[in-house]
Amino acid sequence: MANDKTNNRKAILVTPEACIGCRGCQVACKSWNQLPGIKTKNNGTYQNPPDLASAAFNIIQYNEVPSKENPVRWLFVSRRCMHCDDAGCMKICPSGALYRTAEGAVAYDRDKCIGCKLCVTACPFDVPRYDTDNKVTKCHLCFDRIGAGMQPACVKTCPTAALKFGDRDELIATAKKEGFGTIYGEKDLGGLGSVYAFKDEPKLYGMKENPSIPSSVVFWHNYLKPLSAIGLGGVVAAAAIHYLAIGPHKEEKEEV
Amino acid sequence: MAEMVRKSSVGEVVNHWILAGSCIMLIITGYSFLFHIEVISSVFGGFETMKTVHNWGGVVFILSLLVSMVHYLKDAFEYDADDLQWFKVAGGYLSHKVKVPPMGKYNPGQKLYYLGIVGAGIAIALSGFGIWFMKDNVTVMLVSHLVHNVAFCVFVIAVPVHIYLSTLANPGTFQIMVNGMLPLSDAKKKYPKWMKSVGKM
Ligand code: HEM
Ligand code: SF4
Ligand code: SF4
Ligand code: SF4
Repeated sequence: MANDKTNNRKAILVTPEACIGCRGCQVACKSWNQLPGIKTKNNGTYQNPPDLASAAFNIIQYNEVPSKENPVRWLFVSRRCMHCDDAGCMKICPSGALYRTAEGAVAYDRDKCIGCKLCVTACPFDVPRYDTDNKVTKCHLCFDRIGAGMQPACVKTCPTAALKFGDRDELIATAKKEGFGTIYGEKDLGGLGSVYAFKDEPKLYGMKENPSIPSSVVFWHNYLKPLSAIGLGGVVAAAAIHYLAIGPHKEEKEEV
Repeated sequence: MAEMVRKSSVGEVVNHWILAGSCIMLIITGYSFLFHIEVISSVFGGFETMKTVHNWGGVVFILSLLVSMVHYLKDAFEYDADDLQWFKVAGGYLSHKVKVPPMGKYNPGQKLYYLGIVGAGIAIALSGFGIWFMKDNVTVMLVSHLVHNVAFCVFVIAVPVHIYLSTLANPGTFQIMVNGMLPLSDAKKKYPKWMKSVGKM
């Protein structure tokens, strides 16, 4: 089972060093997913919109990290849903609206979403957003396209191969061969579906170190959920055994 | 017909069934959320409507629980030596041979059950409102989610025990939650201290 999953698991590999910040990916995503534009203000950076939004499934983060050789160094990092293998959002969702596709993407069924926003609290990367109908929205790895053998819209449009789509294992192997020291997301949360090829430490690229699902959610999932089922079954069984083995109170026999 | 005595007022009986009905509905829909059980959610036409029913069912439940405090809270805090002895013989539930001490209106098991329901009920209601209304505060959401589920575990274990003890395990008890009455002769055997305190014995 675990092997099956890794074998045909697809991923997007992000290589910031190759990105030119054209934001074609943002536009292609909007176009494929028919997302409206967002009115934003100039706040002193090219990064726009400033954050993921219900109408912005992916954004280029403009990290300005000047170095000695390059005083105007920008590290452009494509931010989006990480399609975690161990996905907090899927774990906590009470309606089953978030689900995994055969390719390993974490997609969602808009009709099933009840707008409870629990997925936001369980996502280590602050990804899910809500549209005006209070339904979850986020990058879904273009599950509709990749299911039909196509590339995600953002990858298709990327002129520099800063975004690559393919078999997860192959993408990671190739990136390592090409000499990228850090593959962000290779092991985190069971392995991310958005993996990043970095030359430097992840912090420099504005990435979260050691991302994890909140421990209360893990505890709930591992212990409370089973307890609620075993507890009910246990007391019903205990009642049945009590009834058969010891039997109900008989007033006559225990006169006071 | 045997002479009857009233143990529960009409108000107590009515409120009990509002409490029980809402509680059981909340438990069933709660399980449906927890394990994505679509046979249950489809009864409501989907998870969205079920959430609305669950939320407002919670309001009914907590109001009913507050009303029940007028009925049971005072009793539930009073324990005497017989009550202690009751625990030592496990209420007579594990053997019919032991001698169960004379009881008042409610036995200590029932009183503790009530306190458990009040505690877990307040916790599950407050945390439910947290999840319902404080969606933008991640800490409140996480704590509420945890508390809501711990309290849920208390309910799904305590409530079935209560149902069993008030029906199959104690023949005649269920009648009290139908019309509030039970035969005087039974009341004298089951609750001698209560009968004495109201001058019927
Ligand atoms: C179909 C399910 C249920 C049945 C058949 C049932 C039956 C009864 C009966 C017969 C009594 C009276 C006991 C006596 O006077 O000695 C009682 C009391 C009570 N019930 Fe229920 N009940 C049910 C569900 C519930 C639920 C779901 C709750 C809670 C949330 C609840 C809370 C209470 C409380 C607080 C009392 C007061 C006395 C005590 O602590 O036992 N009941 N119930
Ligand atoms: S399309 Fe490619 S090069 Fe352009 S911003 Fe997106 S990732 Fe960078
Ligand atoms: S990044 Fe967040 S929304 Fe995406 S799969 Fe992981 S937990 Fe879910
Ligand atoms: S994979 Fe699809 S949904 Fe996700 S960012 Fe790219 S275009 Fe948008």
